[in-house]
Amino acid sequence: MFIALLRAIKFSLQDIARNVWLSIVTVIILILAFFSINLLLSVQVISDAAIDTVRDKIDVSMYMKAEAQESEILALRAQISALNNVREVIYVSKQQALEDFQTQHKNDPDILEALRELDSNPLSASLVIRPQDVNHYDSLIADLNRISSPIIESRNFEDHKLMLEKINTITERVNQAGFAVSLLFIFITLLVLYNTIRVAIYTHRSEIGIMRLVGASDWFIRAPFIVSSIIYTLIGIILTAGLFYLFLNLLQPYLETFFMNYDFNIINYFSENFLQFFSLQFLGGVLINIIASLVAVRKYSNV
Amino acid sequence: MQNKNSNSMISLENVSKIYPPNIKALDRVSLHIKAGEFVSLVGQSGTGKTTLVRCLIGEERPSEGKIKIGDWDITKIGKREIPYLRRQVAVIFQDFKLLPKKTLYENVAFALEVAGKSSAKIKSIVPQVMKLVGLGAKMHRYPSEVSGGEQQRAAIARALVYQPKILLADEPTGNLDSINAQEIIDLLKKINEFGTTVVLVTHNREIVNRLKRRVITLHDGRVISDQAIGKYIL
Repeated sequence: MFIALLRAIKFSLQDIARNVWLSIVTVIILILAFFSINLLLSVQVISDAAIDTVRDKIDVSMYMKAEAQESEILALRAQISALNNVREVIYVSKQQALEDFQTQHKNDPDILEALRELDSNPLSASLVIRPQDVNHYDSLIADLNRISSPIIESRNFEDHKLMLEKINTITERVNQAGFAVSLLFIFITLLVLYNTIRVAIYTHRSEIGIMRLVGASDWFIRAPFIVSSIIYTLIGIILTAGLFYLFLNLLQPYLETFFMNYDFNIINYFSENFLQFFSLQFLGGVLINIIASLVAVRKYSNV
Repeated sequence: MQNKNSNSMISLENVSKIYPPNIKALDRVSLHIKAGEFVSLVGQSGTGKTTLVRCLIGEERPSEGKIKIGDWDITKIGKREIPYLRRQVAVIFQDFKLLPKKTLYENVAFALEVAGKSSAKIKSIVPQVMKLVGLGAKMHRYPSEVSGGEQQRAAIARALVYQPKILLADEPTGNLDSINAQEIIDLLKKINEFGTTVVLVTHNREIVNRLKRRVITLHDGRVISDQAIGKYIL
């Protein structure tokens, strides 16, 4: 058995080397197939990150009355911070609100002029509340509505709720579409892989007949093809990983611009999940190649 | 006609092969070939010669009748047993059937490798057999780098490495000029002298007549003549 295995490996390596163009074409098709899967995977990762970024920016503001003392506001802030599902509560003082307003309208001289004509700061202090999990937004709003304090001037959360519902709907549709496209894509890739190996074996059909003729057993005919398909898949996945990292390096600067002020690095993401992603793809590729090898050899070995 | 002999190496009893819808390639063929015989199986194209060869190497199962190789009844041989049959009944063809991406040496060695022979044994046997068929100097060439006659010699070498009991030669000279053809026939005679039963399937009148050996003639799937020292009669 050990000799037979060694011979299967020897025949496989011999065949790869002596049919070098066929081997190169097979590996290129495998690379294209694996690269497509990884591309789809990265689109999914980027869209998830984009949705998370938008969700991360969702917050609600609670405006304080003009006469509210800072100590009272800070006490309220502590009370809100203690609620479930509150990630952070940011206190925006009257002065801070004014500065933000001025920065925001620095190109609008009319508004700045109107502001200067007012003797006092017309803006209210506020508490900006960021939820831990936007999926539990409803219960957070309910909790916030239950807080009774004389310093609260307004707490209208309805606009945010509508926006969040829209985001959730979009997220759901993006995920559904992504899932459907992924399934379709994986199916197409599997077909491509399957066919590539079948074509490679088709070119050997007369040789398979000759092997049978000189008394080769089923196993002896199939084993070199299975070994070859494992080698093709291994080379394909290694080259795909290399090319894909090159591609991610080119992509990352654009993503940094897109996800400004947000900690997202797709290279790190793939590095952290490297073994999981590429070993799964390798195993999937090997499995489909073995099935294709078995089917094709069976078909062409009936001489 | 030859009579049945208890020392039969090949024995066919009323063998018929019918292809759908109702084409009789072989029609109740009975014949017995003794160990060490050199037999020519002749007949026109489409007369059932190749079907008979295919039945003898287990590629086809007869529709009726019984086939035995020595004491082994191969009429309903299982797929797993075929590799073992092929090591006892070797076959060479008109188109040589060599693996194009292997050298002549590797083609011959391959037959032993599939049988699980050790590398040391392969290294000692293959050069000897290559020398025997006159390919000692060209054994490391690829089939495309040698002549048709040399390719057929390599095919014969591959058939011989198992030391088979029977060598079936299905139109082995069909693709060769007369000089190469005669060399191949001489080689088959030499192999026969070493004790291997040789069945030569051909429709080459000259070769059959020059051999002066047993000739079995097939016509429309039936044996119409079986002569101990025969001639091509069609």
